[in-house]
Amino acid sequence: MTQTLTAFASMSAEEISRGFIAGDFSAREVVEASLARIDACDKDIHAFLEYTPKLAFAQADKLDAARAAGTAKGTLLAVPVAFKDNMNQIGTHTTCGSRMLENYVAPYEATCVAKMTAAGGLPMGKLNMDEFAFGSSTETSAFGPTMNPWNTACVPGGSSGGSAAAVAAGMVQLSLGSDTGGSIRQPASFCGVVGFKPTYGVVSRYGVVAFGSSLDQVGPFGRSVRDVALALNALAGRDPLDCTSQECTVDFTANLEEGVDGMKIAVVKDLTFAEGVSPETLAAVHSAVDNLERMGAEIVEVELPHVDAALSAYYVIGPCEAFSNLSRFDAVRYGYRYEGAKNLDEQTEMSRTGGFGDEARRRIMLGAYLLGAGVYDKYYYPAQQVRTLITQDYVKAFEKVDALIMPASPRTAFAFGEISDPTSMYLSDKFTISINIAGNGGLTLPTGPGKDTGLPVGVQIVGPQFRDDLILRVSAALETCYDFERVASCDGGPLPAASKGGE
Amino acid sequence: MRYNERLELIMHEWTFERTTMHLSEKDVRDIASYTRIGLSDEQLTQMTVDLNNIIDTLAPITQMDLEGVKPTFHPIGDLSNVMRDDVARDSFPREVALSNTTATEDGAFRIPSILGGGDE
Repeated sequence: MTQTLTAFASMSAEEISRGFIAGDFSAREVVEASLARIDACDKDIHAFLEYTPKLAFAQADKLDAARAAGTAKGTLLAVPVAFKDNMNQIGTHTTCGSRMLENYVAPYEATCVAKMTAAGGLPMGKLNMDEFAFGSSTETSAFGPTMNPWNTACVPGGSSGGSAAAVAAGMVQLSLGSDTGGSIRQPASFCGVVGFKPTYGVVSRYGVVAFGSSLDQVGPFGRSVRDVALALNALAGRDPLDCTSQECTVDFTANLEEGVDGMKIAVVKDLTFAEGVSPETLAAVHSAVDNLERMGAEIVEVELPHVDAALSAYYVIGPCEAFSNLSRFDAVRYGYRYEGAKNLDEQTEMSRTGGFGDEARRRIMLGAYLLGAGVYDKYYYPAQQVRTLITQDYVKAFEKVDALIMPASPRTAFAFGEISDPTSMYLSDKFTISINIAGNGGLTLPTGPGKDTGLPVGVQIVGPQFRDDLILRVSAALETCYDFERVASCDGGPLPAASKGGE
Repeated sequence: MRYNERLELIMHEWTFERTTMHLSEKDVRDIASYTRIGLSDEQLTQMTVDLNNIIDTLAPITQMDLEGVKPTFHPIGDLSNVMRDDVARDSFPREVALSNTTATEDGAFRIPSILGGGDE
């Protein structure tokens, strides 16, 4: 069956790649279709901070020529992709959503960006984010927020809000985000897309502006588990430029259809029945558990006794690492520079003051305090001890079960300005943070609109370290149980059937 | 914790005014100076409130029994250092390294005077 690009917004990465290989359309036509969709949507959504049509067309021409010559190779041929704006891509700005880097042009390429384009992806642009990835709503971007494509009065989540929104609105098929405490999984839940934080070490962090170096991990967004697995195939593996990246020879698409029959999957009681979980979120977890059981999985309960302390451990470790990483912004080599300072001290202070927004200042100062003499022993060292306990909790749990299921976020997308107090905003990361502390992978799977708010709800599947294939397998099985519109029209609902073309 | 240590801690707490303030405005002013972030008086007051609130939420890790628990500073804890062969490889040419600043001189980064109020 041939595919035409009239259905572009709702086509999967795999369909586009196949259609290109079969000669149904050219890579150039795919770029045009993606640009048309961006043109129609992004004025209302503001997912992008920069469009890169020149780079996309240049890549398309290369692919079209390679196809004509019979040499086109790659797992993401002619698939429109976009990158969170903390990822260096030569010739693009890499602002991190901050005035500090407003005029910074990347002189080198992040490994994740290079791998997506080497696999044949068409780079459509750079995506909005909370400033330096500090936030859960994309409201702290210095360049204005991104709107949730399902309801533009609501936030898309964050910090990778632009990455989730661009995919949800059908502007691109795949995007990349980074996840330090839930920054892929929470926006994926808010925007109704699949978002995957792989195990720490699966994807190279080289060229991604660092936030919390022991917590950060790059991962893909897509509208299906299969597309996300395809992206991970392109992304995973050892990179000599990131010494924490690991060898990886797994084909993440290989086991997607194996199902969950005979698997043991656990509900974490303390996380699922926690205070503040909305009824529709709880209902989604219940229905997912029912579905897994129906498909042959054995459902059990496990305890993660120390997981309650994860949030406080994270808000020690994260800011300490951020404080250290953001000390590089000295206004000398790059970044915003205050002109006319009388000495270096004044230049440094005036530049950092002018360049960093409120949340960045809070985290930097908190980190500085927590690493201070005397305070270090009270918070930082215990936080790293707590990390040992949380990691052991997960190790023990995975001695008994293959995967865990829990909410990705306590509730659906909140309205702009609804959570203004920083402490309350931090609490919204309750379900995502503990696996950044432990290093495990986790995937948000959308389960359709919530019965109360009508906004996307998702569940989170967590697996043992470096068993990201298992997470994808469970998620792919679960995905088959849900039937709902995957693409937002950008004006408060799914894409009307008429504009979707035949599938 | 030994009994004497606990007693000392309690005594120590008694000698100070008990409040929920972890940080005073003066402390926050000092941290701002150390991290090279300028704050107006109004911003200083708000930052002091915010930081104290955030530090309040960190309490759980100070209340746990962590006696004898080893710290994990990194999620892939069992790895040893990764070394590469000592072979030179290409790096940025100078003009690329200098491309993101406007303050250069003779192929180097230019900074204002380090000491004093230089008016060059």
